[in-house]
Amino acid sequence: MKPLNLIALLLFLAGTTWALTRSERVVREIQVAYFKAISPTLRSGSALETKTRNLLRETKHSKKLEAELSTIRGEIGRLRIIESRFKELERENAELRHALNFKKITEFDVVAANIIRRHPTTWWQTAEIDAGEDRGIGIQLSVLSNDGLVGLIDRPLKNRSSILLITDEKCQVSVRIEGSPEVGILSGQRGDFDNNPTLRLRFLSKNASLQPGQRVFTTGRGGIFQPNILVGTITSVERGSLDSEALVRPAVDLNDLVTVFVVLSEKH
Amino acid sequence: MLRFNLSAVFLLLIAFLVQQFVPAFTGLSHARFLIVHLVFLCAAVSVATPTMLLLAFIGGILWDAHCSLATIVADPEVYTNPTESLRFGYSILLFTGMGFLMQGLSPLFRAGKWQFSALLTGVATFLYLAADYALISFVRGDIVMSRSIMRLMTFTALLTMLFSPFVFWLLYRLALLFDHSLYPEAGKNKRRSF
Repeated sequence: MKPLNLIALLLFLAGTTWALTRSERVVREIQVAYFKAISPTLRSGSALETKTRNLLRETKHSKKLEAELSTIRGEIGRLRIIESRFKELERENAELRHALNFKKITEFDVVAANIIRRHPTTWWQTAEIDAGEDRGIGIQLSVLSNDGLVGLIDRPLKNRSSILLITDEKCQVSVRIEGSPEVGILSGQRGDFDNNPTLRLRFLSKNASLQPGQRVFTTGRGGIFQPNILVGTITSVERGSLDSEALVRPAVDLNDLVTVFVVLSEKH
Repeated sequence: MLRFNLSAVFLLLIAFLVQQFVPAFTGLSHARFLIVHLVFLCAAVSVATPTMLLLAFIGGILWDAHCSLATIVADPEVYTNPTESLRFGYSILLFTGMGFLMQGLSPLFRAGKWQFSALLTGVATFLYLAADYALISFVRGDIVMSRSIMRLMTFTALLTMLFSPFVFWLLYRLALLFDHSLYPEAGKNKRRSF
């Protein structure tokens, strides 16, 4: 081996050992420095992704309208397009009112934020929001939507944060089942990249009397999630020799999520 | 040579910035174009081993900074089986492995046959993802192999490979700019034939 290659290899091994032995705190510092360095492109990238998503949604909508209007004459067609645009605005308006109402009636102090990026990494089910430490968001705070639990804060930065979604295998939630004494641990399933992912509810008793359609709520145990937040609905139950497991459909449509709420603290 | 090597490092850093603009294709099981990996793989075949190791170190550490999740601190009495994560820095080893794989075809590349290296970028990307997923499965237990995982790995590899001629062209232009030859053997053969 050439001396230069040998020196390079030794330096490389030293560097790799250094990287592999870093503590959680140092890793966080490296991540903060990395995201700070790329923050201008992160902002532009998120904006581009949001615009593309809106454009695709609009295109899809227009195509549907075109098919419907193909049999109707031009004047009526134009009026229908205008009407559909109004309906879209009305729907958006209703959604925002619903969100505002949610913020008013919730028992928690929450920060509203918009999803600006989805699945920025290959394997993890994560999303990014446009609110960060400057609005009081910290690590491991739970994230909700109008319909139920979304996930928890994984990486808060100055003005944006990353959410670990409930569909990720790493996001475990202690849950109870409506109308049943059963409690278990719910988590996402590895490699479930379909558009309708399901969650796996484990550690249920062997003879758990559960039915598809029963709702699943957080227990509040474990120190992360507040109690009584809707997580999803049971779709099927699998009985094993030692325990039972159930598949749960998330209450929140994570593919179509726009506004979320980060729980800062519980109101007393 | 030195200026070309530095430009390859610079190109890799730019790739990290460009990667932020690349969304996942939800219709293709969240497959995406991995520009960081592509730039690394193309550069790995066109530089010497020490520079490849430097690129693997930078690429791996920044990729882990981009991707790694925080450890969830929860009550161990409730969450008795926390989901394990890979250590920060493991991507350096994966990048290095793929770098050496690319360098295996460097004699062909130096002879001007870059097409084989372009095809190998797809294979290397697929192997990278497969190794990454195998490591995750190893630390978490249970090997789950679904159709959506295969689709993700295959389409990501194909999408990444499609852009490899462009990155090779970019490296070729950089080599010209810095008075460096990517295909020294091809030049020799030409001279011999004259």
